[in-house]
Amino acid sequence: MALPITSKKAIREWKLYIFVLPSLLMVGTFAYFPAASAAYYSFFEWAGGDAKQLIGIENFRRAFSDQVLLDSFATVSVLIVFNLFKMIPSILLAVLIHRLRSDRWQYVYRVLLVVPMIVPGLVTLFIWKFFLDPNLGVLNGVLEFTGAKSVLVSLDHFFGWGVFFANVPIGWLSQPQLILPSLFLWGFPWIGAVGVLIFLAGLQSIGQDVYEAAELDGVGPFKKFLYIELPLILTQVRLSLVLLVIGTVGGYGLQLQLLNEYGGPDGRGMVPGLWMYNRAFYAGEFGYACAIGMILFVFILALTFVNNRYVRIDK
Amino acid sequence: MSACPVSAASPAPRSNARRDWAKHAIILFFILIELFPLYMMFQVSFKDTTTFIRQPWLPTNPLNWHWENWTFALRLILPYIANTVLVAVTGTVCSLVFAIFGAYFFARYRMPFSRILWAAFLVLMLMPSVVNITPLFILLKSLKLVNTLWALIFVGIAAGQVFTIFVLRNFLEDLPRDLFEAAEMDGASHLQQVVNIVIPMSGSIIGTLGILAFLNMWNDFLLPLIVLRDKELFTLGVGLIYLDGEYVKQWGQIMAAYFVASIPLIVLFLFTMRLFVRGLSVGAIKG
Repeated sequence: MALPITSKKAIREWKLYIFVLPSLLMVGTFAYFPAASAAYYSFFEWAGGDAKQLIGIENFRRAFSDQVLLDSFATVSVLIVFNLFKMIPSILLAVLIHRLRSDRWQYVYRVLLVVPMIVPGLVTLFIWKFFLDPNLGVLNGVLEFTGAKSVLVSLDHFFGWGVFFANVPIGWLSQPQLILPSLFLWGFPWIGAVGVLIFLAGLQSIGQDVYEAAELDGVGPFKKFLYIELPLILTQVRLSLVLLVIGTVGGYGLQLQLLNEYGGPDGRGMVPGLWMYNRAFYAGEFGYACAIGMILFVFILALTFVNNRYVRIDK
Repeated sequence: MSACPVSAASPAPRSNARRDWAKHAIILFFILIELFPLYMMFQVSFKDTTTFIRQPWLPTNPLNWHWENWTFALRLILPYIANTVLVAVTGTVCSLVFAIFGAYFFARYRMPFSRILWAAFLVLMLMPSVVNITPLFILLKSLKLVNTLWALIFVGIAAGQVFTIFVLRNFLEDLPRDLFEAAEMDGASHLQQVVNIVIPMSGSIIGTLGILAFLNMWNDFLLPLIVLRDKELFTLGVGLIYLDGEYVKQWGQIMAAYFVASIPLIVLFLFTMRLFVRGLSVGAIKG
């Protein structure tokens, strides 16, 4: 802990405040000030120029009857469920790597996991866009090659979705009904290197005696996971859950690049962050965009509060 | 890393390791899929459009490789890389220097107001950066920073401060107090203590935090997209977005460009592999 200091000495050490000044200035200017001004601007009708008009809570009233925004919150809830599901492979992979008997292989796999991270995030995104391409993409190629496409087509016939047709390439990013499935498929097999590494860090705390006792009692691999491994990484799982929910609710870079600023065909991929971005930088409605930002902020704050309240993280 | 108990208990761990083949198979399967984009990027980058459409999956004979894709990509991407390196390096260095001094302030003494300042810092961790982007743009506009690389550097520094200071403070508080007291006896100023004690003692954590900060700035594309206008100033993020937006797509050239864009991180990765692996775990835990 930092040493307590008498006020007399503190005065003598005033120069220490200079140490914290640069970061305080940066954070104040580029983080606090914008946040405060967002709250201020959200009460104005303002196109970003000199003229702005105080309209009270009109922006917020508009937001709560804005069908696009309401739908986008529904979409983002679906995405949260998807992303929760997408956490599973990382957990399983971490457990598998941890159970390997050779330390050297464990290290090799950890390094191999990090290797894909050298590709800039944006490039990964574009490569996936290319994978989902109807004519040249890997996904359609695989579906065609394995014959899974004919299964999809006959399922379509049976249920009458009107999405898959025998001789038409599947337009993953152009068919409105396929936008959410594509966002789900995105990133398969959903291994997050960062996630696996934290889960591995959590698993390290499992002592050998625990495994030995389990082995003596004849506990199978699945029960070992349920009763030994999962409880020990629960802290990490909860933490990534919190981060994931916040990231999903606030994120929009993926939707912007994979689809477009309107969330793709029919706006099926529209999320609140993207709508805010769209209003600010395509429609020039800065005041309204700030209001959406404030609603998002409150929403995320509430989620964080719920998380802290009901999903306890024990340090 | 704690090995599984069986290997420790048995006299011949090597033969036991062989029984893990099923696990190896599953892990390798996942990792191969993860590496597949890298493979595609590499092999497509040597094809022209007709070869690519005829055979998208398998690499062609190296003798027929289309190196002109790479010369095209290098000419296109190198200026973007130069801009991105400038932004990310300047931003990372400043961010680290500021954060080291900031963390020293919080870790050394419990100064008046330091608790309030600390709380103010921590609140920022809860604030999602999306909310800020609209007013941030307006602020940058009124500071005349739109269409400059300075905007990216400043915002990058500010964005990294909270997390870096948070981790560094915890680290500094665990350093032996005697070191600082002895230095103070010898008449060392705070600046000298930072330079001669803090920086040498926390080299590896600073390296790790530096990599994280660097990666964040390297991968950012939302801010550059709204801030930069002139093609000469484009960073990788914006440059690649414009490349993707072209109407007629030359996949070979595009993939070569993607690969060139990854090269700086490959180099960084080769030299700092351990820090990279560690840095990612630390970053994820403290979030």
